[in-house]
Amino acid sequence: MTEREVVVGHRLGLHARAAARVVQLASQFQSSITLFRNDHGKELEADARSILSILFLAAAHGSTLIVRADGSDETDAASSICEYLRG
Amino acid sequence: MTEERIIRGVMASSGVAIGRAIRIFDPLLISYNFHIESADTVKEVSRFRDSVEKCRKQLERMQAELRGSSIPESSYFVDAHLLILKDKLFVDRIIDKIQAEAVNAEWAIQQVSGELYEAYDRLHDDYLRERRIDLEDIVRRMLHNLRSKSSSTVPSLPYDAVLVGKSIPPSTLFELRSTRVAGLVTETGSPLSHTAIVARSLGLPAVVGIHDLSGISSGDQLIVNGTRGFVICDPDRATLTEYRQKVKQQRSTVPRSSDHEPCTTQDGVRISLGANINFCEESQSAAAHGMEFIGLYRTEFDFFKEDGKPSEEELTAKYTRVLEALRPAPVTFRTVDVGPDWKSGDGTGSSLASRGLRFSLENQDLFKLQLRSLLRASHHGGMRILLPFVSTIDDLDAAIGIIAGVKKDLTRHHHKFDREVPVGVMIETPAAAQTCDLMASRVDFFCLGTNDLIQYYLVIDRSDQSAALHYTPFHPAILRCLHQVYTLLQYSGRPVTVCGEMAADPAAAAVLLGLGFTSLSVSLAAYPRMRDTIGGLNLGKLRELAGEIMKMESPKSIEDRVRSTIG
Repeated sequence: MTEREVVVGHRLGLHARAAARVVQLASQFQSSITLFRNDHGKELEADARSILSILFLAAAHGSTLIVRADGSDETDAASSICEYLRG
Repeated sequence: MTEERIIRGVMASSGVAIGRAIRIFDPLLISYNFHIESADTVKEVSRFRDSVEKCRKQLERMQAELRGSSIPESSYFVDAHLLILKDKLFVDRIIDKIQAEAVNAEWAIQQVSGELYEAYDRLHDDYLRERRIDLEDIVRRMLHNLRSKSSSTVPSLPYDAVLVGKSIPPSTLFELRSTRVAGLVTETGSPLSHTAIVARSLGLPAVVGIHDLSGISSGDQLIVNGTRGFVICDPDRATLTEYRQKVKQQRSTVPRSSDHEPCTTQDGVRISLGANINFCEESQSAAAHGMEFIGLYRTEFDFFKEDGKPSEEELTAKYTRVLEALRPAPVTFRTVDVGPDWKSGDGTGSSLASRGLRFSLENQDLFKLQLRSLLRASHHGGMRILLPFVSTIDDLDAAIGIIAGVKKDLTRHHHKFDREVPVGVMIETPAAAQTCDLMASRVDFFCLGTNDLIQYYLVIDRSDQSAALHYTPFHPAILRCLHQVYTLLQYSGRPVTVCGEMAADPAAAAVLLGLGFTSLSVSLAAYPRMRDTIGGLNLGKLRELAGEIMKMESPKSIEDRVRSTIG
């Protein structure tokens, strides 16, 4: 299991198009990928292959996310997703 | 055995109907819910998967088309739709629900999407919250694919159906007009709403303003008595027999040969009687009745489409069909009038602030598109163009300027059209009633829309149930207003046709004739009855009656006086 922390760099946050891109990226890897966000003490999580769950994460520009990947290609998966999220 | 129950409401469209209830959940879609046998869940899941697959193919085709278009970015929204179609939060949960609860796919989709809509609504970000339209769009597409094998948007109904819903938008009724709909029942709305008007023009019995619909479930047998304004739930055998007889009698109103003769009063005065239509298709049946003229074609129902903006070519073809079917009878095309309760396919409603001509002046692209289509059809018959909801001379001048501009443009592009097509004003606001003499020098004719006029004179909320209580054409304020309009227009020499509901009520029509009006236009359903009514009226007596009621004070006593005179 690999975990990375990343600050969302997209100007509009994880909006529809960015969320769609995350899903497309995540689908290229074997590993399961989960995103976590701490919303005023409440821990929210999203499956990186579900566009709806990413939208409901409501990650704005500048918010901090934890990317957790678990599987054979977890290191590549985590870096690839983080790289995209940094913008 | 369940007891017969009577639920009272307000009559919105006369006639009686027998059918089984279909509850409407999404105002834009019909879907029905039921439990299935556990053994059938496998089949239901594969039915659901098929619809997902069909959606995917449709979206991919759309995506390819958009990518190849001049604006490839327009395909981006489809990416999101395709991903939602693969989303386990959506698809997997629907499958789980079908299996765990043994319900039909439509039901599961409604339940799961309902939960997801709530999740959207909880978001703080405005932009993200609005993205629920993506899901709504997918759900609509999916339900549509489930209910029909063809690409048509009209659902097939499993039996003679009475639509039951909190509200049913006129656009939905419009879509369903050629299906097995027998009648409709709604919680909100009034006899003056567009839905009620559409129901009347389609001859669908309707009852509105029912306080509590929770006692009616899909599949319940219902009798809709639109003439008296009530619904009978689970009728017993005797009641059913009685109503089957009534339904049979109702079907026997076919065009008669006498329909083709001129319409005159008992004392031989010629009255022009025309019909109002809402749909292009109705022109055929109006022609069969040998209609003298169409006093009002409400074009908004044929204008908007579920899947976007109408095309000029399509509209031109439609308008040409109407004119050719009715030729040589003149047809008054009222330009698009969207009201507060109107909901077009794309969900845009309209407030009172921008109705009729106001809407057209704010949306000039749509207005010009319609004018171009109208003019390009104009030389195929007797077209007249009517502007709705005019309230100031400035608006009228602006509209006349736009019409002139469109004509110039058509000439430049060598389109054929009738250069002298008459343009008229619909008098339906108190402002227009007070100033119609000022408008007269600018236009060729007038129509009097009594529904709106009465509503605004008497301060009645169109969607309010109490409307039925306070709405009366026999109010002295209305009589004075009608008298004033008649007098003002007499001097101007411009013809006027009364085309509101008032013209279709025998007593109210008698008042109109007594006040001097000689041209009326009524719904197709009311046409044969009104011909008979007029044939039995003595105009001399009606003039005396009008003089008498103009001096009376109470709406109730005026109405009683008129009804007792005409018998």
